[in-house]
Amino acid sequence: MSGIKPSFSKALFSGLIMEDLVFPYPKMDKEEAENIKMIVESFNKFAADKIDATQIDLDAKIPTEVIDGLKELGFFGLNTPEKYDGFGLGSGGFTKMLSAISEVDSSVSLTIGAHQSIGIKALNLFGSEEQKKKYLPKLVTGEMIGAFCLTEPGAGSDAAGIKTKAVRDEENGYYILNGSKIWITNGGIADFFTVFAKEELEINGEVKEKISAFIVTTEMEGVSKGKEESKLGIKGSSTTEIFFEDVKVPLENVIGERGKGFKIAMEVLNSGRLGLAGGTLGGFKFIIKTTMDQITQRKQFKKNIAEFEAIKKKVAQMTIDFYVAESMIYLTTALVDRGDVDYSLESAMCKVFTTDIAWTGVNECLQMAGGLGYMKEYPYERLVRDCRINMIFEGTNEILRLFIALSGVQERGEYLKKIGKALKDPIKGFGLLTDFATDWVKDKIITERIREVHPSLTSSKTQFENYSKNLRFSVERILMEHGRDIIYREMITTRLADAAIDLYAMIATISRVDTRIKEIGEEKCDKEIKICNTFCEQAWRRVRRNLLMIDKNNDDVLKEISEFITEEKEYPFMTE
Amino acid sequence: MNIAVCIKQVPDTETKIKISDDKKSIVESDINFILNPYDEFGVEEALKLTDPENITIISLGPDRVTSAIRSALAMGAKNAIHIKTDSTPADPGITADALASVLKEGNYDLIFTGKQAIDDDHAQMASLLAEKMDIPAVNVVIKLNVENGTVMAEREIEGAHEIFECATPCIISAQRGLNEPRYASLKGIMGAKKVKIEEKDVTLSESNLEVVEYNYPAEKAAGKIVGDSADAVPELLRLLNEEAKVI
Repeated sequence: MSGIKPSFSKALFSGLIMEDLVFPYPKMDKEEAENIKMIVESFNKFAADKIDATQIDLDAKIPTEVIDGLKELGFFGLNTPEKYDGFGLGSGGFTKMLSAISEVDSSVSLTIGAHQSIGIKALNLFGSEEQKKKYLPKLVTGEMIGAFCLTEPGAGSDAAGIKTKAVRDEENGYYILNGSKIWITNGGIADFFTVFAKEELEINGEVKEKISAFIVTTEMEGVSKGKEESKLGIKGSSTTEIFFEDVKVPLENVIGERGKGFKIAMEVLNSGRLGLAGGTLGGFKFIIKTTMDQITQRKQFKKNIAEFEAIKKKVAQMTIDFYVAESMIYLTTALVDRGDVDYSLESAMCKVFTTDIAWTGVNECLQMAGGLGYMKEYPYERLVRDCRINMIFEGTNEILRLFIALSGVQERGEYLKKIGKALKDPIKGFGLLTDFATDWVKDKIITERIREVHPSLTSSKTQFENYSKNLRFSVERILMEHGRDIIYREMITTRLADAAIDLYAMIATISRVDTRIKEIGEEKCDKEIKICNTFCEQAWRRVRRNLLMIDKNNDDVLKEISEFITEEKEYPFMTE
Repeated sequence: MNIAVCIKQVPDTETKIKISDDKKSIVESDINFILNPYDEFGVEEALKLTDPENITIISLGPDRVTSAIRSALAMGAKNAIHIKTDSTPADPGITADALASVLKEGNYDLIFTGKQAIDDDHAQMASLLAEKMDIPAVNVVIKLNVENGTVMAEREIEGAHEIFECATPCIISAQRGLNEPRYASLKGIMGAKKVKIEEKDVTLSESNLEVVEYNYPAEKAAGKIVGDSADAVPELLRLLNEEAKVI
């Protein structure tokens, strides 16, 4: 297959370690790092004067002067190339920016993030030169704000099931677009929509409904917006429904190839998820700082809260989890910035891992603040509410686990099929899945071992190698046993995904700490070595349990109980 | 009108300062350095008074100060001079000698400094430069008007405002309130990257001051809550009078 890019995690499902993709840990170039520092400084000054996160939450609106100020600063053009008047930040820089903005306010970060991570990303990635020249200069200044319109009332996780239709009228030079999209971030303030709709295409003499991506603007007649949704958190960010009624969309407004809309949407989300993960860490970082002030000041039983072991455990665990999530994210953004690697699984892994640990961590921060954490006067409850969405949007963590596991299994399945190993049924057509890395893999120098890491990390490295191999064995057993039915065995695939996520988390952290030791010496890395080894210790035990439970589990009983309750439609038991 | 703005790179106000083992300096390795906030007022005022092409940012110090220079350039200025030294002199007189020698080479109508650097708080630069360059200086200025070579500079004093008039060239030290410094935009930051910072080597003069040692300030005692109603006022007054001795 041509154009296939190597994927670290897909190879990992085959027990292969593409070491060169993850070692040494990437470092941002000095100039970009300096730029980021300057932008962050400028933003922080602006934020200190103008952004009041508590008020934004109360009003459920970001003041116009804040949005205008951000436009003036140029924050709507962070990751658009300089050629189109943008700032040209790479994935790493952009993610760092979203993280810094989220430290101040998640709604502001989301507004900026949704515009660039997904709203105008398809145009940036797949748009024609004419389209880019026409729209990007207005989009980078914020004169136009972008939104990504995929989700529909009947098509959320099952994105391929969208109903919005585009009927091509070749003669008059436009499509007629009909349908509606829900929960559109930036809906209320956007003028530029990347809309996914189905159109009829003739493929090999057969007429098929395929998804295409379209540029739709509010100027076009028939585009209207619903009311602002009232949400649990990220209240300042605009979320509305968007309606399209007989909208005439010029033929030249198709983004990329006709019929390739699904692939475009997935590609956009692949990179968008990293910004989301980075943003999630920003909010988490803010609340950690707030919590540290609280627990080092509040006394109970004549001791600071921070001195109690029950609290120490929480603080240590959130620090470890944060460090690991950060290691994964910035390893992956570097994979994106290389441009020659398939990072779809890794970005999904970053999203799942980060949003899960941040949810737990932010919740624990509230817990450590006690009763005070529950009061609206303090930021804890807002952060908990703001943080909750991250596990839902841009692919729920459940669907992403499925995506991770099935992509990995498919990879191994195709390989085994090729080498003629007996398989019940070839795995194909999961809808979500795309390329295979196997062809690439076999041409390269890939081993089942990592060459060398600093001695202080040897045990972590060995565990990673051992369980990578076990992952492969598990994948093969699953394939033999379930064949293509594996797509319905979600309890199994979820375990597989969790194991793979933990392994990627391990190697990202090992790489970061190893690279850091080489740079500044073992002594100065004392805490980081401990963080890495402690995490790897926790992680390999989880991996082992997850892999063991693929064969030994209560899945059938769980299914039975679940089906019983859903049949009853309520909790049916009573105490005597 | 040609304007020079002298800036200093200082530790971020949130930095936790660590003193070196010999107590003669602070440990720089973990410090986040920023452009001195008072200097920003100077940069902003220059941008309001003249074309960015006619503004030169000048700073003295080791290589790291270029990032403060870039911050000032990111606000809009188009020229910069970096006077390279191994470290930042502790004696403001040395810095003033070096700055004056460079400033004399340029044909500046106005020279801005911040009213003080927030790290060592000497607040001497404008006066030292005035002396060494033999031109007037007005310190701690909150309002400025420049017309036909005449400068009207307003400053706040106890209970009143003073307005000085002087001819250019002169030195103005900027105080908060002079203006609202703009936030560096991304465009500005990109523009700043394109400016070539002129490097100058100088021989520093002999220091007349010696740092004996740095010490941490005494730790503050914990606060005391006397009560939360009007009943507590007499006790509060007593404590403020007898213990704190502030009333």
